[in-house]
Amino acid sequence: MDFRLPPPVLAFRDRLRAWLAGNLTDEVRAASRRRGAGDDALAVLRAWDRTMADAGWAAISWPVEYGGRGASALEQLVFTEETIAAGAPTPVNVIGINNIAPVIMQYGTERQRRELLPRMVRADDIWCQGMSEPDAGSDLASLRTRAVRDGDDFVVTGQKTWTSNGHRADWCALFVRTDPDVPRHRGISCLVVDMRSPGIEARPLRTLTGDAEFAEVFFDDVRVPAAALLGPLDGGWAVATSTLSHERAGAARLYAMIRVRLRDLVEDLRTAERHGLVDLDDPLVLARLGELDTRLAFLAVLCLRSISGAGDDASGAASLAKTVWGELEQDVATLGHDLLGAHDPGGRWSVARLSTRSLTIAGGTTQVNKNVTAQRVLGLPRR
Amino acid sequence: MNLAPSDEQVALRDTVRRALAAEAPVAEHARPLAAGGTWAPDRAWARLAGLGALDVLVPASRGGSGLGMVEAAIVAEEMGRALHAGPWLATAVAAVRAAGAAGAPFAPGDGTAAVALPWPGHDPGFVLDAAGRVTGAQDHVLGAPPAGRLLLPAMRGREVVLVAVEGAGCAAEPGVDATTSLGRVAVDGAGCEVLGALPDGALDAVRDDVLVAWAADALGAARAVLALAVEHAKVRHQFGQPIGAFQAVQHLLVDALETVELVAGGVLHAAWAADAGDGERHLAALRLKAFAARLATVGDIAIQVLGGIGYTWEHDAHLYLRRLLGWSVAFGPASSYQVEVGRRAKMTRVSEREEA
Repeated sequence: MDFRLPPPVLAFRDRLRAWLAGNLTDEVRAASRRRGAGDDALAVLRAWDRTMADAGWAAISWPVEYGGRGASALEQLVFTEETIAAGAPTPVNVIGINNIAPVIMQYGTERQRRELLPRMVRADDIWCQGMSEPDAGSDLASLRTRAVRDGDDFVVTGQKTWTSNGHRADWCALFVRTDPDVPRHRGISCLVVDMRSPGIEARPLRTLTGDAEFAEVFFDDVRVPAAALLGPLDGGWAVATSTLSHERAGAARLYAMIRVRLRDLVEDLRTAERHGLVDLDDPLVLARLGELDTRLAFLAVLCLRSISGAGDDASGAASLAKTVWGELEQDVATLGHDLLGAHDPGGRWSVARLSTRSLTIAGGTTQVNKNVTAQRVLGLPRR
Repeated sequence: MNLAPSDEQVALRDTVRRALAAEAPVAEHARPLAAGGTWAPDRAWARLAGLGALDVLVPASRGGSGLGMVEAAIVAEEMGRALHAGPWLATAVAAVRAAGAAGAPFAPGDGTAAVALPWPGHDPGFVLDAAGRVTGAQDHVLGAPPAGRLLLPAMRGREVVLVAVEGAGCAAEPGVDATTSLGRVAVDGAGCEVLGALPDGALDAVRDDVLVAWAADALGAARAVLALAVEHAKVRHQFGQPIGAFQAVQHLLVDALETVELVAGGVLHAAWAADAGDGERHLAALRLKAFAARLATVGDIAIQVLGGIGYTWEHDAHLYLRRLLGWSVAFGPASSYQVEVGRRAKMTRVSEREEA
């Protein structure tokens, strides 16, 4: 039992730290905070992804033959902790790198691998993932966008929504129903769709913060070459659940992000204290801060168990960690807004108070996640 | 990094669990205590001694097991799971650690002991006079009675020394949990053996280890009562189906599981930090206590899911809730510890930033 990192991983961390110290600029950090807020920020983020790729620090979880480092779980963990602590942006194509690329490596043609992967990692192309639909959110398997084979093409018709970067994307990993006559999990396929194809219309969808982070995407008789099928025909469910991912330390993102948020909150609180705006000796405030710090520290261990653990412990810890994370980050934002919102209306704690509502919804709601935990971990019966 | 228990640690857990299940099942051990009995050294205690479970923290050079807080937490969790009433925390953790800090290592054998630890921020409750006699009082002393040997931190001039008295003035305090004995220790000019001086911070470090082990004990009780509730939810039928099929019930139980697993991580980290002498050692112990009231909600949820059955005296659920409530008020309310953790969070996070 040991929480320490082995020396080679510490050396890896030192190299990464040194590189970040020499390359990460305030401009990039600022763009990272304004993610989704505008095209100028996006341009900075894309340039940063290219810088990372050129230096060999992008997509480190990928095998070496595809330009990654084949990084171990602990190296991935350190990478996540360090880049987030330093304020470096999440890659523009984070979903593509972690979830779509491994499928391309496993099932893609040689041409797809050669043409798509390097451009993905450098953010030369922007990728989106077409999953949610108006009537298929948490219940993804009920998706209805259909693809019908016609000669050498699929013809795609339907609508996706809440698609991150959907209005900016060059490519979409699109989940479609290819067989309506089998049980719903079995008739789904994944297509790699060129977003400039005729018949596609992407409308930016403003989130409750006012930013346009995602889009609704309409497909009207869009012709997609049959060669764009990614993975087995009707085998898209396994692709959607990203069982092929090389990402082993995704859970580190959860606590590392909140560490930064809590650090920012304390910093802002102390600034406000100096201006006489808040009383940081108030035991009610300190107790809330202490409760958040405690939950964060315990969440970190839960995440580490999901990364370093095995089997049942790892998957059970991972599903609990996601639930804890969403609520904890919301609670950090709530404390920030309670104490600082009046003095900084529209400032970062007001935005955080609003934007963190997504954390218990995106990627499966907390309630669905609890159903899964109840059934898989506690062994409770399904209705 | 490796957070999985070793084969030896798993074996220790299994051995202690089997011994307690065989010698002190809840129905025969904890039940009579709830009905007003008192604990006295019994076969389970002798078995624990025989297994080396009382000597976990005693150095191998002194004939002990030479293990650390990680192993102590493993034993403590089993004690809590079994609702065992023996003064294991007081003897095997508090007394062994306090005596060690005073340079007078203590091996319990099959005996019992307790330490009159003050609450955080308080001075020792005792004074040692020039004639070598000790006077003073301390409330809420864990394991006193029934401790045979009492270790008292006492002021001698400006220094703190640890003295030992045998079977002196303990009065049991009635408490919410009959399986955890707390008492008031009061002595007036009692003869004693001076074990040695306690360095600055030594009492705080002993209390930290007790907090970590006590949290592990409560974790064991929480796991056990959650398991009872989950089992009940699978077999209890209402409205034509097991109540565990209702999402409202499922979510309650997942909330309890979340609390249990968060504390499990906290215990793991705090026990490791104590053994490794990590810089977060003290903070890690404070955090466990700061979460103690939340851990008690596992007992609340279990009783809610058990329904009317869980609200009866006959069901064991209240015995576990009582154990959890004992922990939630140990060494003061959880809220005080939240404030202290918050104060530290306020300071350390800024110094981290300055470092970077």
